[in-house]
Amino acid sequence: MPRGHHAVGNVTPMKDVLANYRPGTAFDEMIDESGEVRPSYQAVYGSLQRATPGELKVIAEFLANNYTQAGVTFDVGGVERPFPLDLIPRVIAAPEWDTVEAGVAQRVRVLEAFLADVYADARVISDGVIPRQLVTSSTHYHRAVWGIVPPNGVRIHVAGVDLIRTPEGDVRVLEDNVRVPSGVSYVMTNRNAMITAMPAAFSNQRIRSVAGYPQRLLNALRTSAPYGIDDPNVVVLTPGVYNSAYFEHTLLARTMGVELVEGRDLECRRGKVLMRTTAGLQRVDVIYRRIDDDFIDPVHFRSDSMLGVPGLVNAVRTGGVTLANAIGNGVADDKLVYTYVPDLIRYYLHEEPILRNVDTWRLEEDAAREEVLDRLPELVVKPVDGSGGKGIVIGPRASAEQLDGLRRRLIADPRGWIAQPLVQLSTVPTFLDEKLAPRHVDLRPFAVHSGEEVWVLPGGLTRVALPEGELVVNSSQGGGSKDTWVLSPPVHHPGGWVNESEAEQTSAAEPDGSAGTSEPTPQPRRPSPVPLVVGRPPGLAPDLVRGTPESQQEQQQQAGRWC
Amino acid sequence: MLSRIAESLFWIGRYVERADDTARLLQTRLRVMIEGTSLTETEACRNLLALMGVEEDAEPTRDDLLRTLGYDSRETSSISASWALARDNARRAREVIPAELWQCINTTWHSLPSGRIQLTQAHSFCDWARERSALFTGIARGTMVRDDGWQFLLLGRSLEQADMTSRMVASAAPAAGATQWPQVLRGCGGHDAFLRTYRGVHSDTGAAEFLIVDARFPRSIMHGLIAASDCLRTVSQAKPGARSVDEAQRALGQLQARLEYTPIEELLGFLDTSMTGVQDVCEAVTETVTTSFFAAADSRAWTTEGTR
Repeated sequence: MPRGHHAVGNVTPMKDVLANYRPGTAFDEMIDESGEVRPSYQAVYGSLQRATPGELKVIAEFLANNYTQAGVTFDVGGVERPFPLDLIPRVIAAPEWDTVEAGVAQRVRVLEAFLADVYADARVISDGVIPRQLVTSSTHYHRAVWGIVPPNGVRIHVAGVDLIRTPEGDVRVLEDNVRVPSGVSYVMTNRNAMITAMPAAFSNQRIRSVAGYPQRLLNALRTSAPYGIDDPNVVVLTPGVYNSAYFEHTLLARTMGVELVEGRDLECRRGKVLMRTTAGLQRVDVIYRRIDDDFIDPVHFRSDSMLGVPGLVNAVRTGGVTLANAIGNGVADDKLVYTYVPDLIRYYLHEEPILRNVDTWRLEEDAAREEVLDRLPELVVKPVDGSGGKGIVIGPRASAEQLDGLRRRLIADPRGWIAQPLVQLSTVPTFLDEKLAPRHVDLRPFAVHSGEEVWVLPGGLTRVALPEGELVVNSSQGGGSKDTWVLSPPVHHPGGWVNESEAEQTSAAEPDGSAGTSEPTPQPRRPSPVPLVVGRPPGLAPDLVRGTPESQQEQQQQAGRWC
Repeated sequence: MLSRIAESLFWIGRYVERADDTARLLQTRLRVMIEGTSLTETEACRNLLALMGVEEDAEPTRDDLLRTLGYDSRETSSISASWALARDNARRAREVIPAELWQCINTTWHSLPSGRIQLTQAHSFCDWARERSALFTGIARGTMVRDDGWQFLLLGRSLEQADMTSRMVASAAPAAGATQWPQVLRGCGGHDAFLRTYRGVHSDTGAAEFLIVDARFPRSIMHGLIAASDCLRTVSQAKPGARSVDEAQRALGQLQARLEYTPIEELLGFLDTSMTGVQDVCEAVTETVTTSFFAAADSRAWTTEGTR
């Protein structure tokens, strides 16, 4: 499609929703630098042009109520909060998604190879690709699981790879999450809510479905079962109802049709894991655990853990149970190891990285440390083992005292930190205070590794920072989310691909999605249905009685008259 | 069925039923007080609070009654507290209960009154509470798979219903002065059914019989006890030979026999004692079910797996 085919304002006079939409210096996903609508956003832009602020407000309120009623929440400090869903989707064009998909899968494959290596003979160290000290000093490198080989070789059953887009427009990897990445439930609930709230928007274009995730995950979990188990009993292990992602745990258990258990529901006996049911103890074969390594087994890790199951590590070691994701994965998403991932890709896969990293300074290198300490007020500094935005210091926002404190900590523990330039994340229009404003977003695609393939859920969780100019998108920091639409490549069929302006016109009238997207197939002949049976009208006498009650009543009156 | 989930379902059943019955009791008592009785307001309120196991030292008013049993979620016996507890349990069992059912509970919890409600709103509040429980029951019946989870929900509900009807019957005790049976029957939604069954003949014994032993009436004590026995039998099939479950069955059976074969006049003569007896059995059965099906963690887990 030629660019600029739909110049701003050509189709219909602009309504006030878009009137004041002015992207800033960051890359805007909808409007390019010359002020034109990007091809991927044509349909969304068209819908927005037709909408009034009042209409959008109704949709926004519907989305908010829907989430409150359905209990789609995350917990902050024990208080349930609805997870705000913005009504403007983040749209990804088909060719770009192909790159992202391949890049994410590549990262999972390489980290899988890296984990298999560092928990065995560590060739990567002896070959001099990564320093031994860096691996062994990672807080998430657990010797307790050294030498354990998972049944189908998979340690990263689920990965979430955080991506951002730089002002120049390239997609970079911000961090890998291969421990217990969360957020996938919101991908599914966001889609459901959006389809309910604005069915018409979905009939404009083909958007790839996200509904297949639970089945993919269940399949990956089942194939990872211990040897000799044909029909494994899979469970989801949650820390409990006060965990911030508890909603997600319930959703995954429900959509996979498996039990959601807490640590206290399980016990280990002679290398087997059993759960307490009303019919006695029952064997568990695969545990999709959503508890951190530190808490998973008080025998090996934190002995004060009330959430874990004593003996779980032994059960994993003796092959009595499979944990997904595996214990000790944290060494692969350590932020200092992250800086070596491009080298690891070349080393293990003999490929070039498909997605680049964000430039990162390793503070253990003297020159880098000097530079970082000099430029601290303009950089972002992160702890290497953190997640969820915890402990991040954004230089330009930090006070002088905070920076001084940080400087001291960096010098004392250079292994514990990395520094990155402050990247202006790309923006997407977001509906706030009855108008659209650009807000920064990132993207967390989710990958499921079954041992045979790495499958990437089309789309992923787009998190949006709601305050103006805010760059931290974590939900724990007051972020919201957006539905992420990966467009299907246009399908060519005899009827021809409906051109967009036509689709836009028909969509308003036909919200059923039939507009030109489905190929007319001959309908198989159906047997004619049995008509619905209805009761007799009230007051009618049984069939045996001739005549109607009314006529008999009339006769009575007549008889009375004649008597 | 996971023990912890079974326990949650059992208590969801109990709390939703309790919210319903509390609304009925409260509504009935407020109505009786308006229509005039030989009791003073303080006595009438104190009686009901005592019946619900609430300790009240001062002189309670109708407002206190509405607060304690109605909207104040800090009071353990209130309708609001029951729904909050039901939701708490539902959150823990969210992956096994149908989404519609969860939404029903969650929506109810979100619409609970946040502040004080006036006496003039009491009736609409009680009506609303009853409707929410009815909606829950309807959705549960229409969407839940008839597995052990359903049985535990039903078990909780049946025990609670027997327990609460016994309190309702006790609230009509002759000590309260003028006969209150019609109001109690109305409170149970059984006034018309009673009139039809007894062909319009009003009598205290008839009313008591209807509410206590007529198993055809779904809010009677007998109906609750029989339903509970049935559930217990079904769930214990998975766990044959558990001696404590047999004890619970026996307690339920003995109670049914006692209520059925004691002359109704005799029951009426010692109404308080016989109704307390019903509550005792319900409590004992709950304890048994808890220990035999919802067993807590085995403290030996550490000692068997604690060392390599």
